[in-house]
Amino acid sequence: MSHLAAWIHTPLAQAIGWTLAHFIWEGAVLAAVLMALLRLHREAPARRRYALACLILAAMPVAFAITLAAMWARRPASVAMPIHWAPLAVPQVPISVPSPRLSWAAVLDRLAWLVPVWFAGVAFFYARGLAGWAAVRRLRRRGVCAPAPEWQARLDELAARMRLLRPVALLESCFTDTPVLIGYLRPVILLPLGCLTGLSAAQVECILLHELAHAVRHDYVVNLLQALVEGLLFYHPAVWWVSRVARTERENCCDDRVVELVGNARVYAATLAVLEQRRALAPQAALAATGGNLMKRIRRLTKESRGAQTSAAPAFSAALLLVILAAALTALPAKLPRARHAIPAGVALAPPKPQTAAETTTPYRKWLKEDVVYIISDQERAAFQKLTTDAEREEFIAEFWLQRGSAFKEEHYRRIAYANQHFGGSKAGWKTDRGRIYITYGPPDEIDDHSSGGSYRRPPEEGGGEVSAFPFQQWRYRYIEGVGNNIIIEFVDHGGTGDFRMTSDPSEKVATPYRKWLNEDVVYIIGDAERIAFGELTTDQERENFIEEFWKRRNPTPDTVENEFKEEHYRRIAYANEHFSTGIPGWKTDMGRIYIVYGPPDAVATMGAAAEAWIYRYIQGMGQNVTLVFENSQGDGEFHLTNDPMRKPN
Amino acid sequence: MSAKTNQPPRPTDAELEILTVLWSLGPSTVRDVHATIVRRKPAQYTTVLKTLQIMADKGLVKRNEKQRAHIYSAARPREWTQQQLAGDLLQRAFGGSAASLMLGALAAHRASPTELAELRKFLEEYEKGKP
Repeated sequence: MSHLAAWIHTPLAQAIGWTLAHFIWEGAVLAAVLMALLRLHREAPARRRYALACLILAAMPVAFAITLAAMWARRPASVAMPIHWAPLAVPQVPISVPSPRLSWAAVLDRLAWLVPVWFAGVAFFYARGLAGWAAVRRLRRRGVCAPAPEWQARLDELAARMRLLRPVALLESCFTDTPVLIGYLRPVILLPLGCLTGLSAAQVECILLHELAHAVRHDYVVNLLQALVEGLLFYHPAVWWVSRVARTERENCCDDRVVELVGNARVYAATLAVLEQRRALAPQAALAATGGNLMKRIRRLTKESRGAQTSAAPAFSAALLLVILAAALTALPAKLPRARHAIPAGVALAPPKPQTAAETTTPYRKWLKEDVVYIISDQERAAFQKLTTDAEREEFIAEFWLQRGSAFKEEHYRRIAYANQHFGGSKAGWKTDRGRIYITYGPPDEIDDHSSGGSYRRPPEEGGGEVSAFPFQQWRYRYIEGVGNNIIIEFVDHGGTGDFRMTSDPSEKVATPYRKWLNEDVVYIIGDAERIAFGELTTDQERENFIEEFWKRRNPTPDTVENEFKEEHYRRIAYANEHFSTGIPGWKTDMGRIYIVYGPPDAVATMGAAAEAWIYRYIQGMGQNVTLVFENSQGDGEFHLTNDPMRKPN
Repeated sequence: MSAKTNQPPRPTDAELEILTVLWSLGPSTVRDVHATIVRRKPAQYTTVLKTLQIMADKGLVKRNEKQRAHIYSAARPREWTQQQLAGDLLQRAFGGSAASLMLGALAAHRASPTELAELRKFLEEYEKGKP
């Protein structure tokens, strides 16, 4: 105890004691600032309110550190000398009226005793947090089971849609009674048992999207930092309040994202309510804490409109924040006449400049965002982005390849080249799904290629029978590390544009009537842009509308019911199929194609069985008297066009 | 001990995993349980079978032998076992801080009955307001 008594009179302990005392008003001021800001931004999107809360929460330890530095700076020069708090010393004049108040010196003496108490508190909160963290980690392995593979696949799909590169695992847990996300580098979503069977697919998807939103937004890390601040400044209620605001707004941010993706607040609000009701049926579970108000969240979600924001409000509040913080910080050194270094006001406001990839120069950026985008780990990425000089980056890259073994780099670039060469189309080969898989896992052990589409004999587990299919490929890998044995990845090209997309739904490759429309009916007359737009459509209703619009645009007499263009087009197809069919359907032959696009020729010249020439008096874009020659070079009755007007120049 | 109190003992981690599968799937054959477990980690069929037999002896699971493939089901509901495991010191002392480290779709605390009633009413009104 005497050691402690001696220690608390050291300058460091005194400085900490003063800092703890000063932070009481600093924390209160910061919380008041947040309160004012939130009032100003009452209708603002959750993202902004969340940013404000985080900013204030970050300002708290910064204010604490600055105060501590200032207090340390004004410590007495010599430790041996008795400490006198000159500016606040007891007046020499005796006070005539006996005062019940303690003298300042006595207060100060007691203040110093707070320091060990504070240390103990911090140690308690950090130990508790650490133990909690360990408990959470155990939840990944204990009392969990993997759901049906379709759910994991659906989750992967949703994760890809949200551009989340880290793989997310989906598990059912017997410990949690609410869906949760844990972990950062290898996030896991835990669902309560029965959640998957008890809710509709759309509702489960809402939940998964919410948790994925957390993962995409790096909330897990922010939450950990938040816990650190809470532990450090645990004695101030304002800290807990600000932290709670941040948590609430964080949930709101994720709610917004879900509604944005699902496009329907009602489904999502109902999902939350159903979840809560299911939970109410179960007895109290193992994990419980406080926070959040579901009713508020649902009200917020179902609110009709969130008014458009005026741009003046953020600027105003930023200015307000600056002024208040600057005032608070300048007031501090002013009270300390003996301060050796005046702390420049506004230090707390300069946010740590994030070294983003945008700041790194282009070749390195390309390296990070293209060359190794699929194989670099999150830690490596973060480390790379922190580098500041090109020499460091060069060294990092060299080390990166070195770690992966001698032949790795060569093979990796070979894969990229291969992907670009073979899978490229409207976008670069490495960016396509096939490119990504090829680059990450290498060449598959087997490819089942159906890239010409057409009819496909479905295996019994997919429903059996003979179906018409989109162009698709199945890649089989005998083994993928960390994934498993005999992995089959399916890619489907819905638009016929060569852009094969990865899918986990075996029914996606089965063609609908719309595919016939796209790749047979209008294959020669649909524009590239239209084709791409059609490929993006997701519902049959959208496709119906698209087709209707497609014909309407081409209708020469829009005010009549008849669409002469459409009628003529289908007449030509029928004619082609009737007259030009050989081994292949007439519409697919060269003659069929020309007939469908340009209509009947004005004159036909036959040259025996070997060739036939079609003469058009005028074709738009090609001029007058266009002669197209078809040759029957193989003598098999199939006439091939020798001078194709539609072939694009290379 | 289990014979005296006539209550199944606390399951080990391996047993808990099998119980979780049974709670999730409902009554299942060893094959079903094994198939679910291997989705997450490699496991031998015989190990699963053996564990299930031990669990049946302990009274953790019930075995229905009417069919050729024996059907196993959890002897107690999930909630019961959860309460039993909640005695876990770590879970009890640090549950609160653990909960704040997880990111959930719902707040970690449960809604009160009045809050639930309010929720239901609100949703009904909302549905009505927007046919």
